[in-house]
Amino acid sequence: MKRRRLGHAGWGWTAFAGLVSFIYFFPVLWIVLTAFKAHTDALAIPPKWIFTPTLENFVSVFARAYIKGQTAVDTNFDVYFFNSIFIAGSSVLIALVIGTLAAYGFSRYPLRGNSTYLFIILTTRMLPPIVVIIPIFLMFRVSGLSGTYLGVILLYTAFNLPFTIWMMKSFFDELSPEVEDAARLDGSNGYRVFFRICMPQVKAGLAATAVFGLILTWNEFLFALLLTGVETRTVPVAMAQTIGGDIGVRWGLLAAIETLFLIPVVVVVYVLQNHLLRGVTFGTIRR
Amino acid sequence: MSTIRLRNVTKRFGSLVAVNRANLDVEAGEVLCLLGPSGCGKTTTLRMIAGLEDATEGDILVAERRVNHLRPSQRDIAMVFQFYALYPVLTVAENLAYPLHYERISKAKIEERVNRVASLLHLESVLQRTPGQLAEGEKQRAAVGRAIIRDPNCFLFDEPLSRLDIEQRQVMRGQIKELLAGLSKATVIVTHDQLEALTMADRIAVMRDGIIEQVDTPHRIFTEPANLFVAGFIGTPRMNLIEATLTEAGESHLRFELGGQQVRLPVTRPGLGAGSRITLGVRPRACEFVSEPDDGAISGQVDLVEPMGAETLVHLLHGDQDLRVVVDRTTRLTVGEQANLRFEPGSVHLFDEAGRRVEPAP
Amino acid sequence: MATQAQAATPGGLGQQLREHFSNWRLALVIAILAIPGSVALFPLETAFWVSFGAVILITATVVTRAWGRRPGPLLVAPALATLFVMNIFPLLWSLGLSFFHFRANRMSPPRFAGLDYFEKVISDPNVWDRLQTTAIVVVLTVGIQLIVGFLLALMFEREFPGRRILLMLVLTPMMLSFVAVGAFFRYYYEPTFGLLSQAVRLVTGEPYILLASPEGAIAGIVFADAWMWSPFVMLLVLAGLVSVPKYLYEAAEIDRASWWRRFRTITLPYIRGLLLLALLFRTIEAFKLFDVVFLITEGGPGTSTETIAVYLYRVSFQYFKTAESSALAYILIFIVIVLTNLYLYFVQQREKDEEAPA
Repeated sequence: MKRRRLGHAGWGWTAFAGLVSFIYFFPVLWIVLTAFKAHTDALAIPPKWIFTPTLENFVSVFARAYIKGQTAVDTNFDVYFFNSIFIAGSSVLIALVIGTLAAYGFSRYPLRGNSTYLFIILTTRMLPPIVVIIPIFLMFRVSGLSGTYLGVILLYTAFNLPFTIWMMKSFFDELSPEVEDAARLDGSNGYRVFFRICMPQVKAGLAATAVFGLILTWNEFLFALLLTGVETRTVPVAMAQTIGGDIGVRWGLLAAIETLFLIPVVVVVYVLQNHLLRGVTFGTIRR
Repeated sequence: MSTIRLRNVTKRFGSLVAVNRANLDVEAGEVLCLLGPSGCGKTTTLRMIAGLEDATEGDILVAERRVNHLRPSQRDIAMVFQFYALYPVLTVAENLAYPLHYERISKAKIEERVNRVASLLHLESVLQRTPGQLAEGEKQRAAVGRAIIRDPNCFLFDEPLSRLDIEQRQVMRGQIKELLAGLSKATVIVTHDQLEALTMADRIAVMRDGIIEQVDTPHRIFTEPANLFVAGFIGTPRMNLIEATLTEAGESHLRFELGGQQVRLPVTRPGLGAGSRITLGVRPRACEFVSEPDDGAISGQVDLVEPMGAETLVHLLHGDQDLRVVVDRTTRLTVGEQANLRFEPGSVHLFDEAGRRVEPAP
Repeated sequence: MATQAQAATPGGLGQQLREHFSNWRLALVIAILAIPGSVALFPLETAFWVSFGAVILITATVVTRAWGRRPGPLLVAPALATLFVMNIFPLLWSLGLSFFHFRANRMSPPRFAGLDYFEKVISDPNVWDRLQTTAIVVVLTVGIQLIVGFLLALMFEREFPGRRILLMLVLTPMMLSFVAVGAFFRYYYEPTFGLLSQAVRLVTGEPYILLASPEGAIAGIVFADAWMWSPFVMLLVLAGLVSVPKYLYEAAEIDRASWWRRFRTITLPYIRGLLLLALLFRTIEAFKLFDVVFLITEGGPGTSTETIAVYLYRVSFQYFKTAESSALAYILIFIVIVLTNLYLYFVQQREKDEEAPA
């Protein structure tokens, strides 16, 4: 008798979508569960749904040492987490400053061949990382930047720049230029227009760009694999080595690291849902 | 028979009552205009008839059949949308043919009907264009064409002319009226433009805050507004509504006190006794300036003179009330001047304290 | 204003100097001569610093030229310089290297080789084999992503309680690290206690080693990648679906259009453009597939899942055939440039359509 309006569905649909979403999310969920399992539970046959949760894995991520056999082995993951955060943070910050200025320039003061510049910038981002890394690897070796924070941060700044420029340009393009013209007529100079009129309007976009940049850098693997040294190693590289290296992989530990790695991502996905489309397409698609 | 009937139809959105116990009958061949300010519930009423919204309570009957439980497609109605809702990727011809696919008729038949409607609405030259390539007026005609190509139970129009310019509006008003006259279907047109309603409708339903205030012919809506809202809403410039106290109810006259002045009018209302508070309604064109004060006239100060071409609109300050008077353009009045205003007795409307019209003796 | 007036009047030593230093065309010519020249004549280190200096020179001239006159070049100069130093210049350098005999793990000076390495790469059956593997993976994963993403979008098109939360769950894989996803699936594909193997054992009684057969390994990789990126397609399709004006659906309902007709004439036209963009974007991304393969199968069994990116990694960083890998890289760059160009063309096409009145 009661019909729903077009495009509206009720709790029945929620149940269906919930089931589908649960299945889709299951691989992530299982890893989170595994993170709370003791080593034997993680490798149990058949898989254990009900188990005594333990924080042991999380503790060993940050503990300086754990006993493996008889020797003390340092997981070092506290250092790797610090590296990941520090490298991602600094490179995103630098890219944000340089990239926002450039985006404003591209948006408001088009150069001759503006679209060519933008195309080249996007292309550098679209290229397979392995293609870009070959010469950079040589360059870093020659210049002694290999394995240093400075080198890695510089590289990730360049890695983040195309994304930042395209994202911020898409936000600047959406602003109505009339407001800025009005401010100019009222006697504001270029700096004032940029900082007082433009920036406040793109604050949300700036935040979204920063967060996307952080996640992309945070997740990046190949550059880090080839260019970080022992001291500057990031979490993804360390994670990959955990799998490849030892005879018995400590799946529980790995799951705990992944879970820690996952938390910011899930939060960001929820908060930035409205900017997600723009973020994953590097600002090329807005709606 | 093609009719539309609403019986105590109510629509609530949460705690907001959009339409409150609406009753309406539209007979076959009749054009009814739903008229009211924006947000009064007229579009919701139309969408309930179409089935795009569900009525919370009450019955909706189309062609004497209760349709509350039917989907829009099962109600067999045609509708012209405010933004036309032309399918952007289809040509005009395909848009016109769109509703016919349901009827599973032959290609030749469809083409024949499309051509007939196109010639009726002068769309022949644009049949192969897509809506994006059409002028506003052509889009509007295409939308109308898509509605009339069918033989539905009834027609619904949602603000059909609101996006056209003034000249196109006048032309389309006539065209739509002519078209509908030949179809003998029940038709409901939603509009906020009273000129549109007055010219196109056989009857007008005036709505406010979800309530249908009055349903009547355009003439009677204008000459016998049922209450203060209708009186104030219909007619430009607005009717003067003057609060007054009845001081004397005589055999052949009434005497009022308004703004500290006494006025005697040669009208009678059987229902009123001395002392009752009433509202006088006088249209700006139903009063005139007189040179000498008498007991049938009130005096005031000319506050503003607005020439409107053939006529002049004069604002007269009477007490703290602004009275609008339309006079011939030859009448010369200067701001600040004292003037005496007399009402045409036959055109004075009286409303009681509750705002309802007080009828003269039959 | 003042600087413009200054520029108009000739003379003045400072002005002349400035004109001189802002001659970016001259700087460009110097750079074009200096970079290959130094690579050919000097040891690697010297060549690198000479080239680096040339880049700095060009940037400096551009900035001097624009200083105080036009904000455009000034605003974009730092970004372009960074990108040039960290991306374009290295790429040009590797283009140069691809014409020389050079191995990064040997100190012998580069010798000119002409187009030898391009010839070698193009005629190398291994390259064609890896490209074929890549093509299979790309077609499968992008196809699955489009289908699954589309279905998910249809599910989320409707408004229902809890939609935002569920959307978050489905969108999460897309934002995960490739390494994390690789590690997930390696764990699930594990022959003894992995979930997949155990599920199969419930049916057949035998443990199941997915990654043992070439087909299984490809399926495993495609599944992981498609799982990760279907939400991307969903997001794009969803954007298309919500951009359809609601009154069109209402009009179609009044016009008694069937579900299929409504889908074909209203829904599809609105999402067609975005579907194409999704296809192109995912193709470009899948083409560079490296991390997931590297973590799940490491290219195995044999070389059956070695995509072109993994192959390139091996050639350049395990066999250190630097010149050959540079040549191969340039073939990939060419493919990506073509695809990116196509993608941007359709992006602009779509923007134009949106601006035009409906």
